[in-house]
Amino acid sequence: MQNPSQPTKPSSIALWKWAAIIILVYVFIAGWFVPLKPGIIEASPDRTIAGDQLILAVKGYNSHFMKDPDQIRAWMRLKGDTVIKALHVEVVDDRHLRASFYIPSVFPIKQDAYPLTLILDHPTDGSSVLPNAVFVTPAAVEDPAEMGLWTRDKIDHIHKLEGFRYPFRNILAETIRNTYFHVPMWFTMIILFGISAWYSLKYYRQGLIIDDNISTAFVKVGLVFGMLGLVTGMLWAKNTWNAYWSWDVKQNMSAIALLIYSALMVLRSSIEDDMQKARLSAGYNMFAFVLLIPLLFIIPRMTDSLHPGNGGNPAMGGEDLDNTMRMVFYPAVIGWVLLGIWISQLVYRVDILKRNQ
Amino acid sequence: MKLNKSCHIYTLFQKNMKVRSAFIFMMILVVQVAQAQQVFSPDYMRSIGKIYVVAGVTLIILLTLLIYMITLDRKISKLEKRQKHE
Repeated sequence: MQNPSQPTKPSSIALWKWAAIIILVYVFIAGWFVPLKPGIIEASPDRTIAGDQLILAVKGYNSHFMKDPDQIRAWMRLKGDTVIKALHVEVVDDRHLRASFYIPSVFPIKQDAYPLTLILDHPTDGSSVLPNAVFVTPAAVEDPAEMGLWTRDKIDHIHKLEGFRYPFRNILAETIRNTYFHVPMWFTMIILFGISAWYSLKYYRQGLIIDDNISTAFVKVGLVFGMLGLVTGMLWAKNTWNAYWSWDVKQNMSAIALLIYSALMVLRSSIEDDMQKARLSAGYNMFAFVLLIPLLFIIPRMTDSLHPGNGGNPAMGGEDLDNTMRMVFYPAVIGWVLLGIWISQLVYRVDILKRNQ
Repeated sequence: MKLNKSCHIYTLFQKNMKVRSAFIFMMILVVQVAQAQQVFSPDYMRSIGKIYVVAGVTLIILLTLLIYMITLDRKISKLEKRQKHE
């Protein structure tokens, strides 16, 4: 043990810690300041009757309607190529426009209500989509001659916005940036718990009390990251799913997983003898990690869930994570995991010092 | 340097008047700002493309890690103090 009266030269921190700092600075800057692609926030009215004129007030986001206003085109899509083009698009300002449509009185498919998707195309903003913008109730009198209107127009020469921008997703909007903050919390938690289980196994095989200290530190910090994942997820859910807690299978299972690990800390604090404490918690810890896999990855995939990546919802693909986002998301995961390992290392260094005193 | 004997943050507030008053002042400030701007109303959280949700998430993460760092710092201070006495 060093003598505190003789100050030693402070050693510089390891390279991977510098990497964690630089990566996280990059993640915060890119995560916060790269703009979203233009999109459509809302269109009103949201319902109408077939065989009637529809004047749709469209509210854009990050849009520049005033630039080339006469080149803006709008369509209502029923499915595939079955579209009707706007008769007229009138720009109010950069964020607002009015598009007038004639909704044919007859539809190629028979339904109680027809959801129509609004598609806008702008030469510089590119195309944007609002799914289920308008619900159309069938007309009282149908004119079969109007069937041709559905096949007259085609969506063609769509513009694509170039540049480093995140996709605009309805309901999510700017909260898509939480992909770099909420999601890596869980990645970090799982990796910290995994390292912890590895050290528990090591303790089981070699019986060195130092491995128990390391394993416990990783559980402690993993729990902090898990709690962060849960709380940030609740705030995100409140503003996208409309409730902090919707008893969604993913929420429930992750809460159970955290409770299992919290119980480990309770178990540890209830045992006086150090060796017994280490042996019992090593066994419990490995059991808990094995349980984590079905709780987080298998059960949520078997039923319906609001959460992406479960119950048929795709994650890590499609529009939720495009190539632009990957350039921030993967560094974010690496950066947060390194930070988690760093904090765990501080915790176990303190714990080992404490035990040695 | 004088170090606190207890590690618990609530006993710190009981003993250290300066920290306690600063904490109360901060709480009053937060409540005032929340009331003035209705920070927690859905309308506010969902304005400007729901960017305040991202701000909230980032703040929760940073504040939690900061508080965790403070408790770790206090643990180390306690160890240093104990080592000095030995």
